[in-house]
Order: sequence, then structure tokens, then C-alpha cells
Amino acid sequence: MAKRVRLERRIVAESDRLARRLRARFRKAGLLVLNLMSSPGAGKTTLLEETVRRMAGEVRMAAIEGDLATDHDARRIRAAGIPCRQINTGGGCHLSAHQVTEALDHLDLDALDMLFIENVGNLVCPAGFDLGEDRRVVVSSTPEGDDKPAKYPVAFLRADCVVLNKIDLVEATGFSIRAFRRYVRGVKPALPVLELSCRTGEGFSAWIEWLRRARAEVG
Amino acid sequence: MHEAALAQQVWREALAAAARHQHPRLVGLDLVVGTWSGADPESLEFALGLLVADSEWPQARIRIRREPLALLCRRCGRRFEPPEADLTCPACQAADVETIQGTDLRLESIEVE
Repeated sequence: MAKRVRLERRIVAESDRLARRLRARFRKAGLLVLNLMSSPGAGKTTLLEETVRRMAGEVRMAAIEGDLATDHDARRIRAAGIPCRQINTGGGCHLSAHQVTEALDHLDLDALDMLFIENVGNLVCPAGFDLGEDRRVVVSSTPEGDDKPAKYPVAFLRADCVVLNKIDLVEATGFSIRAFRRYVRGVKPALPVLELSCRTGEGFSAWIEWLRRARAEVG
Repeated sequence: MHEAALAQQVWREALAAAARHQHPRLVGLDLVVGTWSGADPESLEFALGLLVADSEWPQARIRIRREPLALLCRRCGRRFEPPEADLTCPACQAADVETIQGTDLRLESIEVE
């Protein structure tokens, strides 16, 4: 006779446990940790480079870079002037709490105010995995089209901030900022959308302000 | 794309639960996949099928139930399942909603003999 055993067990359990441990560690060290997510090519690394350039004298930063292959991004971030650890996931479609834990062996958390975790370029899988971060940032860009929030709602639903990059290309790409904002509102009404261009610098100061506020809230 | 890893986790949990209940023979498992869980039910079923076929319980049955996203309007209290990605309340058009179901991947139960 078969017997049914009810479990009701959430399945990311193991990685959630690791993420909770990470969060406790980040809290103890008193730094702001940001998980950056986007499709490939939206401009996460460029956003980071420009952020480092603008905040260098103000806060101590480091980054963890996730990519399937190469250390191109880590080299760019180090060249911008902050410590950076590259994680190559091989075929992995997202960073895991386990990988972040290992990367921390190479970073001195007590010497930091802000840690950026640049996730693997992918709007689907990273959204499902907690890395112990304080804030989740989705980076969108105008060449991707304005309906990304409707097509990949989970990433937006779980985000704390959306950076809309490459607004200098709005006309060339036929992107509608109004439609984009409407889609974002449909998924998460209170989600802030920061329009900017890493290339021209337009709108960038609002992002820096948002970071300062987030840091004050966490610290 | 990460369904293989999730399937391994599901299978580990199922085996561990079976062992805890002192019923050595695992004959089935019931999995709930929320439409907004970030996991694809078909890939999961495929990956789990491979694991089960290769295990000591190759006859174990896998049942997967899809759970739709459900929201609760904080303004008028209506519970609704939104079409696509428009999460505004169909009754009062408020955009202030709480997610109450559909984001989980859960091992609901196992069957043992």
C-alpha cells in the first residue's frame, strides 16, 4: 500500500540557506551589496565602470563578475580601479550563492562599503536565485525593445530598481519610454525607473543618488 | 536552463524524505511548478525522468502540477490570476498587489511503500 507523505518543501532550499548566510555576513561587514541583472549587452559592466569613476573618492567598492567564459569584464573593472573577482560559470546560466561565497575568499569585506555582483547576462534564471544581496537592479537598454518587462516579468517583479540604459539611442531604436514605463508599472508599480546613458552621462546622477540612498538605508 | 540542477535538488529532497520516514521504497513524487517560479516544467520533467530512470527506484512516478500566478489586491481585496504581465486589479484597477501564489517550486509530497 502506497502512503503519501506531505512535504510542501520549497526547492531552492539549499541555495537559500547559503544566501541567508551570505546576507548575515554582508550585514556584519556593514556594506551595501547589489545584484545586477540584465540581458547580455545591456551595459552592466559599462554602468559599473562609470559608477566607479564617479564614486571612487567617496566609497570603497569591489565587484564580482559572472560570465560563462573569459575574464574580459573583470579586467575592465580592475582597470577602472577597484578589486574584482571573475567567476566563470562554464555553461551555468546564473550565479549561485555558492559561487559568490567562494569569490568572497578573495575579497576583504571589512575594507568595503559597496559590493557589486554582476550576474550572468540573462533575464530569466538569475531572477530565481538569491545571492544575499541588499538590492536587485535590472539593467535594460533601448535596443532590446520596450516590452522586456512584459516578456520577462519575474526579473522585474523581484527588482528594487530598473536602470534604463542607452537612452541616447531612443530615436534610432524606436524605443518608447512611455510604453516601457507602462509595462514596468503593470508588473511592479512602485519600481523606480532611472533613465540614463552611460555613454553621454545623461541621467547618471540619479543613479548615483539612488546608490547613496540605498547605502544610507542599509548602513 | 538550470532545471537539471533543480531536478537534482528535488530528487535529493525526495530521497531524504523517504529515508526520514523509514519507508525505503519511493514510488512517486508530486512537484508544484509556479508559472513565475523561473523553472520550466517540461525541462524539469525531462531531467527528473533521467535521474529516476538511473536510480534505485526507476519505477517512481513523477507528477508535475503547474500553479498559476495569483495576486491579492491590497485595495479592494480581490484575489485574481492575471493574464500575462498586467498585474493591475481587474476589479478596481489598482496596481497595488501582493503575490500570493505561483512563484514557488515545491516538492509537495512523495509516495512511499
